[in-house]
Amino acid sequence: MHELFEHTADLGLRAVAPDVNTLFAEMAACLMSAIVEDPASIQPLHESALQLAGTEKDYLLVDWLKELLLRFEEDHMLFATFDVQVSDTGLTATLRGEPVDPQRHALAHEVKAITYHELKVIQTPQGWLAEVIVDI
Amino acid sequence: MSKAEYTGPLEPMGCHCYRIPKTYKPGMRVDGHIYANEKLLEAIRKDQAPEQVANVATLPGIQVASIAMPDIHWGYGFCIGGVCATDPNEGGVISPGGVGYDINCGVRLVKTNLFLHDVQPRLKELVKQLFHTIPSGVGRTGKYKFDPAETRRLMGEGPKFVIQRGLGVPRDLDHTEAYGFIEGGDPELVSDHAVKRGSEQCGTLGSGNHFLEVQVVDRIDDDQVAKAFGLELNQVCVMIHSGSRGLGYQVCDDALASFRNCAQKYGFHLPDRQLACAPVDSPEGRKYIAQMRAAANFGFCNRQLLMQQAREVFAAVFGRSWEDLGMELLYDVAHNIAKLEEHTINGQKKKVWVHRKGATRAFPAGHPEVPEAYRAVGQPVIIPGDMGRASWVLVGAPGAMEKTFGTTCHGAGRAMSRTAAKADAAGRKIDRELEHRGVIAMASSRFGLAEEQPKAYKNVDDVVEVVHDANLSRRVARMRPLGVIKG
Repeated sequence: MHELFEHTADLGLRAVAPDVNTLFAEMAACLMSAIVEDPASIQPLHESALQLAGTEKDYLLVDWLKELLLRFEEDHMLFATFDVQVSDTGLTATLRGEPVDPQRHALAHEVKAITYHELKVIQTPQGWLAEVIVDI
Repeated sequence: MSKAEYTGPLEPMGCHCYRIPKTYKPGMRVDGHIYANEKLLEAIRKDQAPEQVANVATLPGIQVASIAMPDIHWGYGFCIGGVCATDPNEGGVISPGGVGYDINCGVRLVKTNLFLHDVQPRLKELVKQLFHTIPSGVGRTGKYKFDPAETRRLMGEGPKFVIQRGLGVPRDLDHTEAYGFIEGGDPELVSDHAVKRGSEQCGTLGSGNHFLEVQVVDRIDDDQVAKAFGLELNQVCVMIHSGSRGLGYQVCDDALASFRNCAQKYGFHLPDRQLACAPVDSPEGRKYIAQMRAAANFGFCNRQLLMQQAREVFAAVFGRSWEDLGMELLYDVAHNIAKLEEHTINGQKKKVWVHRKGATRAFPAGHPEVPEAYRAVGQPVIIPGDMGRASWVLVGAPGAMEKTFGTTCHGAGRAMSRTAAKADAAGRKIDRELEHRGVIAMASSRFGLAEEQPKAYKNVDDVVEVVHDANLSRRVARMRPLGVIKG
C-alpha cells in the first residue's frame, strides 16, 4: 500500500508492506503516482533489469528511486510493475513499462529529485514503513 | 501543514528581526535570525522551518547568523528563504542543500514599450501563443537541441554562446547577474547524466512554481528608481521564473551522493542528512563548486532562451520586431545559488561563501557588481508573487550589506502544501476564477493551476513590507499579472 503525503512545497511518498521487497516495489509505484495522474494507464510492454549495490536500506531506497527517475528523465520511460529482490549488499529488479505517450499518459508533477530529508525505512510491528520527500 | 508547529524561541530583536539564540540546541555555532512581522511569524511557527534555521546554524565555519527571510517555509535540510555564509578560512563548508536542487533558479524581467491599453485587446491571443510556443510542464522538451558538447559549452560560456547564434543581443548580458557567466565552473566535471537531462531542456519553463507572466506596472513606489529601471505606470512587462532544469537537479543529486560520508570523514555532526556538506577546501567541496558554477551558467542560458522565445511571440502577435517593441532585459537575478563574495564581518573584510536558497542578492547603490546603468540607485531585485495578486520590483538597500550578506526575500512563500491546495481547489475552476480577476492563465497539467492557486501563497505585499521596513531592499514598483503560463 502506498500514498502521497503533504510537504509544504514538495510531496512525500509513503509505503507500508509486509516485507522489504514489496516495500521497495510499493515506493516505486508511489513515485509513478506522483509523476502520472493515472498510473493504471502505464502498460508493462517493455522489460528491463536493474542492479544496485548498497548496504544501508535507506540509502538503497533513495538510489532505487533515483534510478527510476533518471530512466524517466533520460529515456522517458514509465513503469507499471516492479519485481524487486533486496539483499544485504544491494538489489536486483525487473521493471516493466513503456515510454511516455502524451495521448495516454497525463503527467502530473515534475519530480526534480529524490531527497534525503526525513528519509525513513523502518521495521514496524506490522511490517515495513518507508517515507521519502521528493522535490517538486 | 502536516508537520508539528515550532515551539522554540523567537525573540524580537527590533527592526523586524527575531532571534533563535544559539543556546537553543546543541551544536549551534551562531544565532538564527528570522526577518518577519507578527502576522507572518504566526504562519512561520506553523511548521518546522525555524528548526531548520537552527540546524543550519550548526554548519562548520558559519558566520554571524543563520538567516531567514520573511517568505521562509519548510524545505528539506535548509529552509526555503535561507541565507548562510561560511568562511573557508575557518573550516567553512559548501552545501548543495544550501543551494537547492534547482541551481540558479531565478527570475528575469523583460520590459516592453507597450501599455495596458495596447495589450488588453490581444491578451488572450498573446497568452495562447506564448503557451503554445514556450515549452512548459513535465517531460516537454525545447525547440533548441544541444548535443553533449554544445551543452557543455552552454555551461562553459553562459548565454554568450546562444547570443552568438542570434538568440539575444550582447547588451542582455549587461543586465544579467554576474553578466551571465560565473567564473570557475568546470563543465567537464558535470556528469553525463546531468548533461543528458539538460540537453533537451534549455529554453523550457519546467513545472512546479515556474512561470512566465505578462504583467502590468500597477503602482510605482519610488519614482526616481523606477525611472532609472525604465519602468512607468501601466507599462507591460514579462516576468520569467525558471532555473537550470534537469541538468541542475542532477548536479545537486550527484553532489549529495558524493557528500554522504563527508561529515564522518571531516569530523562534524549534522542534524539532518539533507544538510550534507564538505569543507570548501576539500576535493569534494572544490568539485561541487566547479559543477555548481557550470550549472548556474546553464540556468542563465535557459532564461535567455525563454526570453528570446517570448520576444519572438510578442513580435508575431504585434507585428513589430522585438527591438521595436522595446523588449529590453531589465535584470536577471538568481535566488538559488552559492557565491564567493566579500563582506564586512565585525569590521573586517572577508571572502565568504554566501548560500542563498530561495533568497535574492540585493546589492545597494555603489556596489561594483551592480550593472553600470543601475549603480547609482542599486541592483534591481525581482520578487515573483502569486498569479492572482502581484509581484514586485525592489532595489537593493544598504541594510542588506549590514545584516543579511547582501540578501533579501525571493517570493511570497507558500501558505498551503500542494496536497492541501489541490484539495482546496476541488470542484473549482481556477482558470475561470482568475479570468474574473482579469488574469488569463494556461497550464500544461490539470494540477498546475490548483497547486499554484493564489491562496496557496502568502500575500507577497506582506513579505515585501518586511524587507522594505528592515531596509534589506526598497519597494520600487508593484506588478499585476495579466497573463500566466505554467507547467
